[in-house]
Amino acid sequence: MGQRQKPFKAMLPDTVKAQLDDLIKKNKVLLFMKGNKHFPQCGFSAQVVQILKETGTKFETVNVLQDPAIRDGIKEYSSWPTIPQLYVDGEFIGGCDIVKEMYAAGDLQKKLGVEEKPVTPPKVKLDDGAVKAIKGADEGNGDVLRLEIGPQFQYDLYFGPKKPGDVEVVANGVTICFDKQSAAKADGLVVSWVETADGGAFRIDNPNEPVRVKSLSATELKKWIDEGKKFELFDVRTDEERDIAKVDRARALDVEGEKALLALAKDTPVVFMCHHGMRSRNAAERILREGFTQVYNLEGGIDAWSQKVDSTVPRY
Amino acid sequence: MSDTKEAIRSAILDKIPGADVVVDAGSGGHFTIQVVSPVFAGKNMVESQRLVYGAIAHLMKGDGAPVHAVDKLTTKTP
Repeated sequence: MGQRQKPFKAMLPDTVKAQLDDLIKKNKVLLFMKGNKHFPQCGFSAQVVQILKETGTKFETVNVLQDPAIRDGIKEYSSWPTIPQLYVDGEFIGGCDIVKEMYAAGDLQKKLGVEEKPVTPPKVKLDDGAVKAIKGADEGNGDVLRLEIGPQFQYDLYFGPKKPGDVEVVANGVTICFDKQSAAKADGLVVSWVETADGGAFRIDNPNEPVRVKSLSATELKKWIDEGKKFELFDVRTDEERDIAKVDRARALDVEGEKALLALAKDTPVVFMCHHGMRSRNAAERILREGFTQVYNLEGGIDAWSQKVDSTVPRY
Repeated sequence: MSDTKEAIRSAILDKIPGADVVVDAGSGGHFTIQVVSPVFAGKNMVESQRLVYGAIAHLMKGDGAPVHAVDKLTTKTP
């Protein structure tokens, strides 16, 4: 070919640069992302979309997955190696972390020219065990207790510095700080302390969570049975396995069992079990889609039951 | 995985000598990076992070890149 190498231009062709210039000029608020605003295909993109929606601003998106030239080009164009990337009024704002931080501090709203919506502090409860554990962990170095709630309702409870825009809530004498997005997902949340085999752990119950399969331990299941709690227990294993070991209370999820299950009221607590907890989780996910709201998976299956609750049940 | 961690660390140190760099590896090529250096003084978050991203851009390029995502990048002055 005999062409001279032009390394910079090779990375960002003029046509792509012109295309990007045009897109950024024409759209006041533009997000380069994976997927689109209705179906983000990456967690970071989803978070920025969520924030932009919460601000109430109008925004357009470019799906970089549809065009490799744009996907590579925007990285060079912004000198920023990751997607998503937010542009406002032609100015590169940043990626997910920066957008989150600016939103929490109210700077993003200023940039977008939208009013900062006041956040109603959520009502939160802490039980005494949780308070004791929190006080025991406080190093007294001025850090505050923070609770972050991720897009998929992952929880992160930790001591960290106070941040601008934090929403403070006092529960049972303890102050908890939330960022705005977490605060919006925390009303009615309960933090409690549960004793576990290796000491103890925080348990978070949040009524804002979308319905999903909940985990149940063998000891919790035993407690339910002892307390006479009303629930249904289904065993998804084969007849051969049930001949080796079973929990008396459990009904096989055969054709008849499935019929009986589907006839139950949708708010009946339903527990699924198998050998180790994998097959039963699949069954539980399936039944969740039928509209059941209290679906549990016996974690560790009958094997956990034999080890933790009833050693007369053989292991196999 | 630890090779990539070291590669990230040394690439950042090449660009920002004397920085205090901590790299944590999550699963699937996800990383958390913290860099403490006086060079960030007076720079905003975009400028500070660009400096770091610029240093490791070669590790993040293409579909088979060793660094798939940086979950959290923190830049601080000492």
